[in-house]
Amino acid sequence: MSLLRSSKQAIFRWPLPACPTYTRRFSAETHNQPVRTGDAPQKETAQIAEVADTDVLTAEVISGAPVELRHRMVRIYQPARNTMQSGAGKSERWRIDWDVLLGAGRWENPLMGWASSADYMQGTRMSFRSKEDAMHFAEKQGWNYYVQPPPTKKIPPKNYSENFVYRPNTLRIMRTK
Amino acid sequence: MLRLVSRPSSTGRLGKVVCSGAPHGGRRSIASTSARQADITLTVDGKEVTVPKVRSALIQACEAAGATIPRFCYHDRLAIAGNCRMCLVEVERSPKPVASCAMPAMPGSKVFTNTPLVHEAREGVMEFLLANHPLDCPICDQGGECDLQDQSMRYGSDRTRFHEITGKRAVENKDLGPLVKTSMNRCIQCTRCVRFANEVAGVEELGTTGRGNDLQIGMYVEKTMDSELSGNIIDLCPVGALTSKPYALHARPWELKNTESIDVMDAVGSNIRVDSRGVQVMRIQPRTNDEVNEEWITRRPFVAASWEEALQTIADGIASSGATGNEIQAVAGHLADTESLVALKDLINRLGSDNLALDQINGSAPPLHGVDVRSNYLFNSTIPGVEEADAILLVGTNPRHEAAVLNSRIRKSWLHTSLEVGLIGERTDTAYGYDYLGADSKALADFIAGKGAFAAKFKAAKRPLIIVGSALAEQPDGAAAYNALAKFVEKNKDSLITPEWNGFSVLHRIASRPAAYEIGFVPSKKAASTQPKFIYLLNADEVDPKSIPANAFVVYQGHHGDLGASLADVCLPAAAYTEKAMTWVNTEGRSQVGRAAVPPPGASREDWKIIRALSEVLGSPLPYDDVLSLRDRMWDISPTLVRYDVVERTSPEVAVAGLQTIAANTVSAKVSGKPFLKPISNFYQTDPISRASVTMAQCTRAFVKGEDYGFGEKGSEAAYA
Repeated sequence: MSLLRSSKQAIFRWPLPACPTYTRRFSAETHNQPVRTGDAPQKETAQIAEVADTDVLTAEVISGAPVELRHRMVRIYQPARNTMQSGAGKSERWRIDWDVLLGAGRWENPLMGWASSADYMQGTRMSFRSKEDAMHFAEKQGWNYYVQPPPTKKIPPKNYSENFVYRPNTLRIMRTK
Repeated sequence: MLRLVSRPSSTGRLGKVVCSGAPHGGRRSIASTSARQADITLTVDGKEVTVPKVRSALIQACEAAGATIPRFCYHDRLAIAGNCRMCLVEVERSPKPVASCAMPAMPGSKVFTNTPLVHEAREGVMEFLLANHPLDCPICDQGGECDLQDQSMRYGSDRTRFHEITGKRAVENKDLGPLVKTSMNRCIQCTRCVRFANEVAGVEELGTTGRGNDLQIGMYVEKTMDSELSGNIIDLCPVGALTSKPYALHARPWELKNTESIDVMDAVGSNIRVDSRGVQVMRIQPRTNDEVNEEWITRRPFVAASWEEALQTIADGIASSGATGNEIQAVAGHLADTESLVALKDLINRLGSDNLALDQINGSAPPLHGVDVRSNYLFNSTIPGVEEADAILLVGTNPRHEAAVLNSRIRKSWLHTSLEVGLIGERTDTAYGYDYLGADSKALADFIAGKGAFAAKFKAAKRPLIIVGSALAEQPDGAAAYNALAKFVEKNKDSLITPEWNGFSVLHRIASRPAAYEIGFVPSKKAASTQPKFIYLLNADEVDPKSIPANAFVVYQGHHGDLGASLADVCLPAAAYTEKAMTWVNTEGRSQVGRAAVPPPGASREDWKIIRALSEVLGSPLPYDDVLSLRDRMWDISPTLVRYDVVERTSPEVAVAGLQTIAANTVSAKVSGKPFLKPISNFYQTDPISRASVTMAQCTRAFVKGEDYGFGEKGSEAAYA
């Protein structure tokens, strides 16, 4: 269970100082995905502090949300920029959404050929300004979550004069522009 | 709209110098070179921003300051062209608006991106662009994700001054093959496609003819664009001139649901986005990840039984075939995900067998490189690390077909640095020049002996890199080649294996293979010599029918029902890679988690669940009920399997020890002198998914066989005026 425990640590690192008013329930029966924060703390289990198991009411208890929702993990990630367009709008946001339901979560309606779904979360996705906001929300709702780290972006060096730089060796590129 | 708001407060009109009166910090230095500094600071829209001094374009500085600069021709991963003029900005004390892409960022300059001067300049540019652009957005495939459409909402005029009797410019469409549909009337001549073909794909045939209004993009002579990366020009095109042919007029972007996932067509693990509508996958888009695929993918478009009885039949099949111990064989195919491999290995081991074969030539024997040391079978230099190499030796591989995205990195490095490439193996067009050393073990021996010009260059290189193709192990002389290479690398470990650099890299071409080695999905020596009586094919579609004993009971689990299914006694329908959220390990050993875009059809299930269910019927249930506890099991096997998105390096000492084991394992290998052959002859149909695709069949006809693929617009001779 070393994976589970280190994941716990990864989650708990953040929220405790920032939001003392709630605690995420992590009892033995709740499973969660390995959560990777930036620096992936995968240390020995002995160093992990046990988290006090305080009972905090999450929204699902009184919100009337279906119980099944608790068993579905949400994913928190930064959607990638659309490669079809040059604009980078909305790519700074963090998104929460649900994995598709396997096993007849979706089918083609025999009458019209439209897509029908038994999954009430299939059309839901939420945007947040930061990863912390998204994690905070998921914890308040009592959802298990998986945080997908954004890929590191490299800013490539660019210079117009590169096009005209003299290279002493054999010509390696034929520009047909 | 913006102009109305901002005009009264400013005097700036096109041609006038706007000077906000900032003092020029003292006298100008006479010296032509200033002190070299790492970063420069400039002001964009009143906001200070610091960018690296070395080769930063002004547009990058503006972006860093959070200002959005419209652009058509500038692209982060292509050379700067500076011909669309859309990115004009105002720079203090500059007489004219400045094209921010072609202008280097200068220290201390004051840049304005949102002034009346800038707006008017961009509006002028837009008016010229739209003068010859057809008004066919309602029937254009780019509609909804078109840069021209979006930017004309902001900078376009609401009425036209275009009153030519002759009408708009008409350009004939070009035939670029079965993947790319052209509508050249819409072309705004940004030349992104030409630069992509020149720089990234290495197809120098795509170019421009004519000048000004008559400029045309084309192949000069009538031929299709033959590149495995050609599909990327669909994404690059900022307008609807180049669109996807298989996807043409199928969906609008706002109808699509995007799911970010991992490509399994090769072992690079390209990051992709799966766009689906309803239960159908409509298209696959690349997803930017500088660590893996940058922004490109190899375009191979996607085309889209009672359980209790089936599982009971298998249980009965094992019993009736009388298979015990190593007579129970499992074969892992190309598209098997890590979770299902782990589950299948656990199941087979529980049944008392070590007979875990891989779906390749020599796959039922223990691998030459062993699986005990990771660096023996992984791409140790990492994919971005390829750009650091200054000499590359390719052995028995054609990266252009085995990992096209990696190949474009080698080309990039080859263009911009003095990288030297050598090739041992079958001659092939790699999109960059190389020294051809020979096709067989003798060429390798000569290289190791230091004969030839390339061997000398390799010896002198600071970061030499040997890329060994995964097919080398399948060759008759593979063992001898591995032996020679392992000894060579060990001998030259000062340059090849250092704490910062590991120059011995194995390039896999099959998505599931690194994971299979990682979990030890290989047979023991004793098991490999056993004749199987029960065979479990997990996504295995390349098996040689002759290798399957006639009396064996065969189970096939997979999704496209290809060759493997036709051999099987029982077929279990499983989910395709767009239908399951699974772990994939790429050739670097980087594990990444994919995501289900659409649910699998009908009765099919995720692969590992099928195996878990089968284990129960067989009476030894596997100890995991959900995917999380299965991933805990994976953590126990190898923690790297669940440390997503990172590459963990092997220490030099361990890497050297690994090479010694290779040398020891292959010490008795004999040289037969047979040449190393490349494994992929038809790039467009390497797996059951692409074999089921109509488009890929057309690609094969057009590019591999050189036939007319049946969809070209023949009869319209390309007329280059």
